[in-house]
Amino acid sequence: MNKFIEIAGRIGAQRHLVAIRDGFVAIMPLIIVGSLAILINNFPAIGSLDFVGWMNGLFGEGNWQGLGGNIWNGSFAILGLLVAFSIAYSLAKSYDVDPLSAGLISVASYIILVPVTKDWGLSFAWLGAQGLFVAIILSLLTTELFRTLLKTRLTISMPDGVPDGVVRSFQALIPATLILILVGGFQLFMTLAIESSLFEIIFNSIQKPLQGFGDTLPAAIAIAFLNHILWFFGLHGTNIIGAVIEPIYLPLIQQNLEAFQAGTSAYDVPNTVTKPFLDSFVFIGGSGTTLALLFAIFFVIREQKNHPYREVAKLSTPAGLFNINEPVIFGLPIVLNPIMLIPFILVPVTLTIVSYVALSTGLVPKTVAILPWTTPPLISGYLVTGGSWRGIALQVVNLTLATAIYVPFVAAGVRAMKKQTEGKMAS
Amino acid sequence: MNILLVCSAGMSTSILVRKMREQAEAQALDVTIEAIPESELSHHLDQTDVILIGPQVRYLETKIRQVAEPKGVRVAIINQMAYGLMKGDLVLEQAQALLTEA
Repeated sequence: MNKFIEIAGRIGAQRHLVAIRDGFVAIMPLIIVGSLAILINNFPAIGSLDFVGWMNGLFGEGNWQGLGGNIWNGSFAILGLLVAFSIAYSLAKSYDVDPLSAGLISVASYIILVPVTKDWGLSFAWLGAQGLFVAIILSLLTTELFRTLLKTRLTISMPDGVPDGVVRSFQALIPATLILILVGGFQLFMTLAIESSLFEIIFNSIQKPLQGFGDTLPAAIAIAFLNHILWFFGLHGTNIIGAVIEPIYLPLIQQNLEAFQAGTSAYDVPNTVTKPFLDSFVFIGGSGTTLALLFAIFFVIREQKNHPYREVAKLSTPAGLFNINEPVIFGLPIVLNPIMLIPFILVPVTLTIVSYVALSTGLVPKTVAILPWTTPPLISGYLVTGGSWRGIALQVVNLTLATAIYVPFVAAGVRAMKKQTEGKMAS
Repeated sequence: MNILLVCSAGMSTSILVRKMREQAEAQALDVTIEAIPESELSHHLDQTDVILIGPQVRYLETKIRQVAEPKGVRVAIINQMAYGLMKGDLVLEQAQALLTEA
């Protein structure tokens, strides 16, 4: 068991994975804004309250939606370009080398490799989610190279008294030149000898198959399972597997958003399993669907108002409504608590299956929005499905189901605790 | 005394920080308490006496000890129960005990 914690810990603290994760965390505000812009542009009418129709009447059909479209272009649509900078920045920062230079070199290298359109333009396809894997690989490679070159003293030193910023930009000059020559030469080779681009090759050979697998039930179950095993050992599950999940699942939700933006209904967008799918329908109240655990505690322990479980539940409820659940995970605790192990894993896996069936059979619309993860349940179910009451209904069903699964285990925990205290008194 | 709490997203830790500050004020202690993500640690090391690590990122312990201990900063993982139940007083005591150990 200690071995497991150690290995998980090593993965969680691995420099490059941390850089990838932090890179994604850094661009999240832009991603959420871009996603909300699309949601507002396509918000369905609530009864007679038709926001989109009303705005169309006011500003002319579709005109006002240009605003959201513009925001989309500057955020989600250039996902690859954004992380090319942010991952390189994070990695350089962890090595304590100039992060700004590393980020800029990575962006420059990225643009060098993007296939140019016939009229000398950059294609949004490759700046966005389709270029994500290239962005990750490239930002890590160029930053490693940058760091190594800086160490070789192939740098221009400046006399004392020159401002810091100038010194740094000149220090970066030779390494940047060498890296750009290397990347530019590689691109020349690709266009002349292979007549293809790194973007197309990586997308078709790595990214597409991974995404295809990502949008399946087994993949969703595997993520739910792994995340909760990690949390059971008291480790931040979402944090540790984040570096692997984000690159696969951001493009999937992007495909949904693009289809939704183009007028496809939320029922017919391509992908079922997305990160918002897990956040809204499985991790209700945080990993382990702990909001349901709180309900179960209030249900099982009705008489004894000062029972320790109830105290923890009371303390955890306000934060739990915003999907923050460390209090219950560490306070109850769930961590290393054999009674809680089974429901803590069984509940999310069950909910993943139920939600997958509900979405893939068309009973509930698919996910077409990324929300801040602190969005309270019910509101999140409504928004994430593009404004459908069925999203709320699924959350209610899932919460009820999860509570029902938790109840017997809470009861068992209460019994075990009682026996323990009685045993102490007897001895 | 300067106490630094290192965690991940910082949501629940910030609640704990608030409780610890309330406790420190009630006991009229001269302490500053901040919560930061691990990536910003290097900028804070010089003004810090004690680093407390959130139990959910305990895997960072070795890494943090490597950079902090040479500078004489004390490092510990926050007691899990105290963290979960947001017991500001207990965590504050833990920090104080670390310093007096020295």
